[in-house]
Amino acid sequence: MPAGALTGLRILECGEMVAAAYAAKLMADMGAEVIKVEPPRIGDAARSRGPFPGRLPHPEKSGLFLYLNTNKRGITLDLTHPQGQEIFHRLVAHTDVLIHNCHPTQMAAYGLDYERFARLNPGLIMTSITPFGLSGPHKDYQATDLTLWNAGGLCYLNGGGPGSEDLPPLKPFGQQAGFQAGVHAAVASLGAFFARLQDGSGQHIDFSIQECLMGISEFAGIMPTYANQVVVRFTGNKAIRPLDIMECKDGWIYLCCVEEHQWQSFVDLMGNPEWASEPIFATRLHRAENWDALQVLLEPWVKEQSVYDLYHKAQARRIPFAPVSTMGDILASEHLRVRGFFAAIAHPVAGTFTYPTAPYHFSRTPWTLRRPAPCLGQHNAEVYGALGFSAQEIAQFQRDGII
Amino acid sequence: MSKPPLSGIRVADFCWAWAGPYGALQLAHLGAEVIRIESTTRMCPSRLIPPWAENERGINRAGYFNQYNQGKRSITLNLKKPEGVEIAKRLVAKSDIVMENFAAGVMDKMGLGYEALRAVKPDIIMASLSGYGATGPEKEYVSYGPPQVALSGMSSLTGYPGGPPMQAGFSYGDPNGGVHGTFAILCALIHRQRTGEGQYIDLSQREACAMLLPEALMDFVMNGTQPPRMGNRDPYMAPHGVFRCRGEDRWVSLAVRDEAEWHRFCAVIGQRELASDPRFATLAARKENEEELERIVTHWTQQHTAEEVTQQLQQAGIPAYPSLDGRDMLANPHVSARGFFVELEHPEVGIRRHLGIPWKMSRTPCEVRRPAPCLGQDTDYVLQEIVGLDPRDIAALREKEVLL
Repeated sequence: MPAGALTGLRILECGEMVAAAYAAKLMADMGAEVIKVEPPRIGDAARSRGPFPGRLPHPEKSGLFLYLNTNKRGITLDLTHPQGQEIFHRLVAHTDVLIHNCHPTQMAAYGLDYERFARLNPGLIMTSITPFGLSGPHKDYQATDLTLWNAGGLCYLNGGGPGSEDLPPLKPFGQQAGFQAGVHAAVASLGAFFARLQDGSGQHIDFSIQECLMGISEFAGIMPTYANQVVVRFTGNKAIRPLDIMECKDGWIYLCCVEEHQWQSFVDLMGNPEWASEPIFATRLHRAENWDALQVLLEPWVKEQSVYDLYHKAQARRIPFAPVSTMGDILASEHLRVRGFFAAIAHPVAGTFTYPTAPYHFSRTPWTLRRPAPCLGQHNAEVYGALGFSAQEIAQFQRDGII
Repeated sequence: MSKPPLSGIRVADFCWAWAGPYGALQLAHLGAEVIRIESTTRMCPSRLIPPWAENERGINRAGYFNQYNQGKRSITLNLKKPEGVEIAKRLVAKSDIVMENFAAGVMDKMGLGYEALRAVKPDIIMASLSGYGATGPEKEYVSYGPPQVALSGMSSLTGYPGGPPMQAGFSYGDPNGGVHGTFAILCALIHRQRTGEGQYIDLSQREACAMLLPEALMDFVMNGTQPPRMGNRDPYMAPHGVFRCRGEDRWVSLAVRDEAEWHRFCAVIGQRELASDPRFATLAARKENEEELERIVTHWTQQHTAEEVTQQLQQAGIPAYPSLDGRDMLANPHVSARGFFVELEHPEVGIRRHLGIPWKMSRTPCEVRRPAPCLGQDTDYVLQEIVGLDPRDIAALREKEVLL
């Protein structure tokens, strides 16, 4: 088996839910040795969120947890306990990157103190992923994925639409703030690790999820400064059209004509209806301005089509349409199958399921599966043993509820 | 204070539009020297779309370009000319990383595929960010950021309860694909640093987007069904949503995570009796009666500004934040106090507020060192100082329309 790009990189993760866990997963999947630290007994909150097979909650069977923690080893440790913190120091001494998403108001209680850790391990990189960063007037604000998506200016851009002004801004599915924070924080962490390869020194990274999301706010952050305008919900406000989801007879399709030749090919695909030569549809800007008129002309035709037939026919003419894929479509995709995007992973308690692997192919250091997500405390004996604790000591930690 | 982490790393950036430039922006943020290879014969779309400063059209006045290309250099090179391709190769020979996001196969056709570039720089790291990836039956398919979100499955999961599938973000697939590409490049750079080996990375943006949906994908794998569209609601928290506030189109987001927060929430809105009301006393009951619950919450939020609601709930330790629009974002006192914004003098648009870097490094600080480049502003510098041409060669190339 070829070595991963990050083989030998030692990561300690104190992750709750998505952000730190996804950052560490990306690195673990590329070969890093990740130890995930969870609170004893309850574990990471992702364990209780599911989805679960048969919808029966079970801490070892959460689909979210299983996905986010492939290729990691798992230990339990009570970081609120003084002895737990002492043990944690021993771990920190053997770590290259400590990545966590504890809230700033909890960091002191968990003993997550970079200055102190740096004295134990000057090469340590500590990445603190927090909702609003470690400074500023809102640093101690509480947050969830939803409130962060709003704090980053992204939620305001979606939902609503013409005639639906009462509908609130709409979040996307899932834990998108967590995922964006995770991948961006992984980038920052590896940047710092690369610097350490040159001179051996570590550092502390203060990562703000709010700022990360503002940074992907597309037109929203630009319009005020450049054009003194505010972007409201995209659904009803697009400069170019069609860029819209429309219903077919057996599902939904995304119609996308950005370039003139794409629109012309689409008109041709529709059999060159007479209305298409109306001057009010002459350019992409016209088509956006007169979308109300265009929409009612397109809808009946699109409604007669089947999604995949229209998709492939459009793509054959270089029109960038896409199906509004369901999960069933994704898992049945021949393209994704040929690329090996999914793999079956066996877990001792949860069983064998199909998981997404990685969105990239490396020519030399491919994605590999070394182990499924850990059971709660699965690697306690192994990890604490390697730190030099005896079997008796480990048993005592367990009796004391520290691990 | 040390130099930023990627000081001395050079990126030959063939990216255009958004996904690639966003990924390369992260490398610039980390201190790499990112050289955008542009051409008037194939202008980056983000220079051609509004907003332009003061609505005055101009390739150096486009907000989109100027936001997502901060800290980079720009050269113009006509890759339709063989001499242009030759210069590009000579630049690659002096670079560590090549990044591109054309449709699969375009770089090969120009003579700038991985094998050709490896021949001039054996340890080059090359990352291709395409919509579908470089292999598979649909690899020739064309793709843009907005439809990728639909293709990945995210749109089918996003929308109001009982409503149609909806767009998530505008072109969310682009920055997401870009930053996953940056991550991959950093992995390859670390591998090269330790082994001397370069490599090729084939990234699929639709797959990068599908990475963000495990709760739904695993639900389908485990149970054969996908979760219904549930708007802003959450299966494990209620109330959980975005609620109308006082003012025109003003909204606040809030989430009540557990029973203790629910009790505090009832106190804040002055309706302590709700906490023990059988319709709302447990999470299950609140989920059952969520519409009624949301009416009660809205009745309260409508009487206040989003900022007032946020302050009152945060004082009680309950997550809440106004739903910021672009103007709110740029006036946000918190990120402003953290020094998030970048305001550098740009030769054509002057000083304007741009979004900066979302991380602060204690030892190797990252900062945006220069505004986004004007088209081709660094052509002479790069060709002389990096590629090693003398001014007469450059003049001759210009004459032959190689530097367009």
